[in-house]
Amino acid sequence: MGGASRAEKRRKQEAADQRLAAAGIRVPQKRNRAPVIVAAVIAVAVFVGGGFLAARLLGGDVEPTYTATAEGAVVTAGTGPVVVDVYEDYICPACERFETSYGNEITTAVNEGRISVRFHTIAILDARSTPEGYSTRAGNAALCAVPAGIFPRFHKKLFDDQPAEGGAGLSNEELIALGAELGAQGDFAACVEGNTHADAITKETDTARADTALQNDKGQFGTPTVAIDGKKVDLNDTSWLQNALG
Amino acid sequence: MSRAPVPDVIGTLARLGLAAVWLVSGLLKAMDPDQTYIAVRAYDVLPDIGVEIVAALLPWFELALGVLLLAGVGTRLVAALSAALLLVFIAGVAQAWARGLSIDCGCFGGGGAVEPGETTYVQELVRDAGFLLMAGWLVVRPRTVLALDDRIGTRRMG
Repeated sequence: MGGASRAEKRRKQEAADQRLAAAGIRVPQKRNRAPVIVAAVIAVAVFVGGGFLAARLLGGDVEPTYTATAEGAVVTAGTGPVVVDVYEDYICPACERFETSYGNEITTAVNEGRISVRFHTIAILDARSTPEGYSTRAGNAALCAVPAGIFPRFHKKLFDDQPAEGGAGLSNEELIALGAELGAQGDFAACVEGNTHADAITKETDTARADTALQNDKGQFGTPTVAIDGKKVDLNDTSWLQNALG
Repeated sequence: MSRAPVPDVIGTLARLGLAAVWLVSGLLKAMDPDQTYIAVRAYDVLPDIGVEIVAALLPWFELALGVLLLAGVGTRLVAALSAALLLVFIAGVAQAWARGLSIDCGCFGGGGAVEPGETTYVQELVRDAGFLLMAGWLVVRPRTVLALDDRIGTRRMG
């Protein structure tokens, strides 16, 4: 269609509109559908993302009913036949994600006596708090929580309330208050203040770092790392625990 | 066969380029939700529940913008939404830089804390500004070729 005939057509249309208007007839305007289509596509996207979120948040918490024992900086939870080694640093954000994603599943398996978990207290991120050293202080408090009889819930609480990297972290007073809230027995406060297990944590960290079986393809050790029967688990496979239980 | 005017070609490149940006960044974020959560959290702006919500919705929102731009539906409106989101990103990176945080923006996957010497705030901001320019072009002049807008009349904002 040429420019001239297009202009001609528009003039005729306008003339027709004017006649209709003169006769008191109103022609409904064509609505622009862009906002509706755009809103619909975005609504679908938000619905998908929100669905995944809701599925995760509505899980609720599994209450730990197992007992824990400690040796050095390793806490053994439960007595199940499949041994799962978990290496965690309490300020590591990926460890917080690991606990949020798999905490319930692990706790259930320990509660049911299907696995035992050895929580290795690691401090590779002491430099990520200001002042430095939160990884060790928090790890120490977690080890103090074992004889205090509150380890399972204290361990979970440390990740639920995990401080941001770069900040001061929870103070010793706050760690002691958390323990008291959960009903810590004995001299929990003195154990936290004394940083009693710091040397054991350093030793455990060095041991883990030197263990080639725990390293990734680049020859590095990081947290979280999980090993079952001494073999490093690929955490990208979200059904790693179910696979191990068979 | 008539050739498209040069501004239409520029607009088309901006539209498809921005579509690629959103599709790639959205996909990388959607495929690794834990990493996305860590990236959002590292900006240290939102409370935990806010981080959960943003980390869950952002990848899919980006994908939606990418699909709409690729199809060329509501180009001006989607370009305006893109510009608004890019401004939020720029503000996020700028506040992290100003506060002395050491983080990776996590713009295309990745993200979280990095060693103090390894931040790339200047590159991240320049890149976002470039994307903002593309979005701005489409807000001002949404006419492009190969767009569904031509068929269903949805180029205008509203």
